Amino acid sequence: MKKLALVVGLLALIVAGATAQAKTPLKFLYYIDATQAGYAEDQAFWQKFKDANPDIDLQIEILFSQAYHQKLGAYIAAGQVPDVVYMWPTSRDSSALLHDQKLVKDLKTVLPADFLKNFTAQALNSANQSSKQLSELPQSFTYTTVVYANVGLLKSLGLSVPKTYAELKALVPKLKVKGIQTLLLPDADKWPAQSCLFSTISGRLLGDKFIDDVKAGKAKFTDKGFVDALKFYEQLYKDGVIDKSNVQLGYGDGPGLFASGKAAFIVDGDWRVGAYITDKSTGKALIDPAKQASDFELINFPAIPGEKNKNTASGIAGVGLGISKDLTGAKLEAAKKLVMWYYGKEFQTMKYETGAFIPTRTDVKSDKVEPLTTKLSKFYTTLGASTYVLDGSLDPSVFNPLNDGLQAIGLGASTPADVAATMQKAQDALKK
Amino acid sequence: MVLPLRGKVESARAYWAFITPAFLLYLLVFAFPIVLSVILSLSNYNGGKMFGGEPWTIVGFQQFQKLFVDPNFWLALKNNIYIVLISVFGQIPLGFLLAYLIYRKIVRWGEGWQAILYVPAIISVIVLGIMWKMIFASNGLLADMMNSIHHTTFLAGLNHILQVSGGFNITDDFVRQLIAISDPHAVGAFENPVNDLKDLIVSGGYTAQNLDVFRTDMLNLLSPKWTPEFMSQQDVAMIPILFVTLWCWTGMYLILFHANMQKIDNQIIEAARIDGASEMQVLRNVVVPNLSGVIANAAILCIAGSLNTFALIWAMTEGGPMNVTQVLAIYMYQKAFIGAPDFPLANAISLAIVAFSFILIGITLIIEKRFGGRDQ
Amino acid sequence: MMKRFLELLGKGAAYFVIILFTLMTVYPVIWLLVNSFKATPEYMVDKIGLPKEWIVANYQGAWTLGNFDILIGNSVLYTIVSAFGIIFFAILAGFGFAKIKNRATGPIYGSFVLGLLLSITSLMVPLFLEVSQVDKLIGSLFASLGWMKAEDFHLFYNTRIGMILIYIGSGLPMAVYLCTEYIKSIPDSLIEAARIDGAGYFQIFWRIIFPMSVPIATTVAVINVPNIWNEFALINIIVSDTALKSLPLGILRFSGSMSTDYGKQFAALVIGMMPMLLFYFAFQKQITKGVSGGAVKG
Repeated sequence: MKKLALVVGLLALIVAGATAQAKTPLKFLYYIDATQAGYAEDQAFWQKFKDANPDIDLQIEILFSQAYHQKLGAYIAAGQVPDVVYMWPTSRDSSALLHDQKLVKDLKTVLPADFLKNFTAQALNSANQSSKQLSELPQSFTYTTVVYANVGLLKSLGLSVPKTYAELKALVPKLKVKGIQTLLLPDADKWPAQSCLFSTISGRLLGDKFIDDVKAGKAKFTDKGFVDALKFYEQLYKDGVIDKSNVQLGYGDGPGLFASGKAAFIVDGDWRVGAYITDKSTGKALIDPAKQASDFELINFPAIPGEKNKNTASGIAGVGLGISKDLTGAKLEAAKKLVMWYYGKEFQTMKYETGAFIPTRTDVKSDKVEPLTTKLSKFYTTLGASTYVLDGSLDPSVFNPLNDGLQAIGLGASTPADVAATMQKAQDALKK
Repeated sequence: MVLPLRGKVESARAYWAFITPAFLLYLLVFAFPIVLSVILSLSNYNGGKMFGGEPWTIVGFQQFQKLFVDPNFWLALKNNIYIVLISVFGQIPLGFLLAYLIYRKIVRWGEGWQAILYVPAIISVIVLGIMWKMIFASNGLLADMMNSIHHTTFLAGLNHILQVSGGFNITDDFVRQLIAISDPHAVGAFENPVNDLKDLIVSGGYTAQNLDVFRTDMLNLLSPKWTPEFMSQQDVAMIPILFVTLWCWTGMYLILFHANMQKIDNQIIEAARIDGASEMQVLRNVVVPNLSGVIANAAILCIAGSLNTFALIWAMTEGGPMNVTQVLAIYMYQKAFIGAPDFPLANAISLAIVAFSFILIGITLIIEKRFGGRDQ
Repeated sequence: MMKRFLELLGKGAAYFVIILFTLMTVYPVIWLLVNSFKATPEYMVDKIGLPKEWIVANYQGAWTLGNFDILIGNSVLYTIVSAFGIIFFAILAGFGFAKIKNRATGPIYGSFVLGLLLSITSLMVPLFLEVSQVDKLIGSLFASLGWMKAEDFHLFYNTRIGMILIYIGSGLPMAVYLCTEYIKSIPDSLIEAARIDGAGYFQIFWRIIFPMSVPIATTVAVINVPNIWNEFALINIIVSDTALKSLPLGILRFSGSMSTDYGKQFAALVIGMMPMLLFYFAFQKQITKGVSGGAVKG
């Protein structure tokens, strides 16, 4: 019967398409910007892993920024946590549920002790993660506020690097006359103003204890101190230190503008060093190495009037890979293999050399890094303590209104008092 | 149309063999999702296994109640209606007009224009969306063009002031004139504009010999700047999207109308022209009535398409900033796939989109029945 | 004299309108092309002019980083297999509806025509839930047989075959409608003659209906090829594995607010639009005919 044959054929096709591998399938949700330097090297390392492990059917899904958070949220919602997942140590966006519901394993119980001993104590500290277990192994310790300074540009105008906010503000008209913005903060994506600047402002003016107090109900966002922190942020726009147009500038636009000399400073995370160094896929760098050495510096945000904590910057245990709690047997072994490959000396050295981050793996050394990466290591040594990154310590229902509010303040569409009130309302709602 | 039946059984068997594959796929992609959508919109299902997972039940019309009081839903619907309007009353008339120009050979090289104008419809809206996003961006092509206009005007003004004041001669009056042509925002940065600005110029070391430096510095400091602030305000933020919508698909209607115009008996038009009818009269009395059926079909096509706009806006704004460019399909997507999922609500939105398309299409059909097809 | 002047004025206005539209269509595309050869810092400073240095490396970079060889390969596969599937199933069903009498034709054919008014975008959420549940159900069945773990089975979600089946389904209402109406116009006498010669329905389909449906198949193809090639909403939620993604997904991942390198972004956009532009200029006549034919519906 032809009809029967058709049905059988169709079924065979379906089964062949869907199943029929004896390999261990491993789903891996990964996070990397495909246009950034180091992407090709990264992909080559994963290819090497695939070649070396023919028994593992590795399915990598690569996403970046909002797209990643959206997709991971969808996976968690559908009850399909990827086998291995790139994640944040705290409640940032989609990672919140991974921690709250303990959807990933405690890596201390999974990875061998003699492997873990290669990492800094800070990385292994479970207290840094909101699940209070080693849900992911932080690949780096990340400072989310770094001011990248175009010193060459300042020098050519006879200006110097500011130490205080007043000095920074004084640069504004002098730079503006030359058509140069003072401080770039591309905030169309909403999180940068909070992660890369306001967290440091709040840390300097109030400290971490204030945030802990708010969470314990012993202080309020509507208290004068926090409103003042928001007012200082508002002042940055009023003084023209940050141009209003930044609110509509995509996060990706920052480096290009900064590298082309359209601004004297950009405030961004330390991870952004990777955007400026040589991209092996094109052989071009946004800032070429010689210029990195001569014209650019990484500095801390200048002293803020009335700050309690001097020279601090917001920082947090870095991102890393976690393993789904459901894994057992061959799949778990495959996942362990993958994680240990990623955190291995070779892979991490490549990450270091491509400027992705400064690894927490202690035996990573290299003399092949570009000047800006060297300057980043040096910058770390000049910093005081690190303070909370707010989206790492507040609940999403509280920091999302903050993110929106910072954008609205920049646009002049909202006031510090209003934003503080909205946040406190969200914080109160959590208690109930 | 009926084949001579050799056996009812054979014919029935063949019939089902022929239609079953298509029908099954149709059920899979259209029919079941609608049924599922109805069920889930009335339920409290929240992800996980539908069978054998956490239990869920039918809870009634809560989602629709929730939807109807949700300001975001109405905002999305309003934006969707803007898109429907620009499509029905923008794409169709423009497409028709362009088709008519080509059909009546009012412009030459008709086929060539047509071929070019269809190009946007063939390229991925993701590509086009990103392209237009870059053009409309706060530091994009449009901003650059507008700013260069502002700069030219400002420089002309500045030169005029210099000429009137007889060269480089900084007086209070000069500064006041300068302020008059400047960007109020830029001037607002000074506490006491006239004095402060005068100080700045006097202490700036400008002389009559390096006026060019003076000009560029003033240009940077004071020239009015084009900022696309409208892109973050309700209603107006839709303008770029509406523009691109119009830009993208007008060519498709051009082709559609042109092809159908060619089916009109040319003799009628020639006769009318010889009788002294103008092009406008020919358009109104011959071409439009002949194409009324096609226009109605185009409107239906248009409505169904524009209520489902997703990819273009996703690429351009993702519904932002602050939801001002939200449309129903994106709102539905966000409810289902971003953050904590709300599948019942997302399904309610899905049904709302289907319902609105049927309502609007129904209205179109009624209008066509009543007013259209006079000559047919 | 006056009349002639008015006519000239009208002509002038007509040319103005059509040239304006053409410029608005062509200029952005050319702008995109030109800027794909600029370095990012140069683009930041000058968005209008020609590049000082033409940087072809943007394309090299975009091509290798974007995995465009894989993406284009996938897009070609999805498009061709789905288009053939749509054509085949639609002609098959069209033959059934048009030439074999059956009481089921009314409701079933009617439902296809109704489907013309439905857009798949509005159904993407329930469709996603449906197919992921089907996967889970079959998975549990296999799991109970001990073949594999339930969550490892995927028929629709994140598979090529699933994506293709969904694409075929979504193109069918229009295709079935067009094919049925077309096959109705094939004279019954041809089929009757074959029947008298003793041919069965399947033979008639292969020998008469299928070959005679080539024109409508072309129309169906030119409507569906760009649609499937450019489709974004569905594949965005159904496919997660990077190796299975299609061109629009790859371009969106590449560009957007997070990407830092404009040169490569522009290059990626150009790569993204080239295949369809070539397709269009190669089959422009057929596409024009297909669009006007396909858009007219009952």
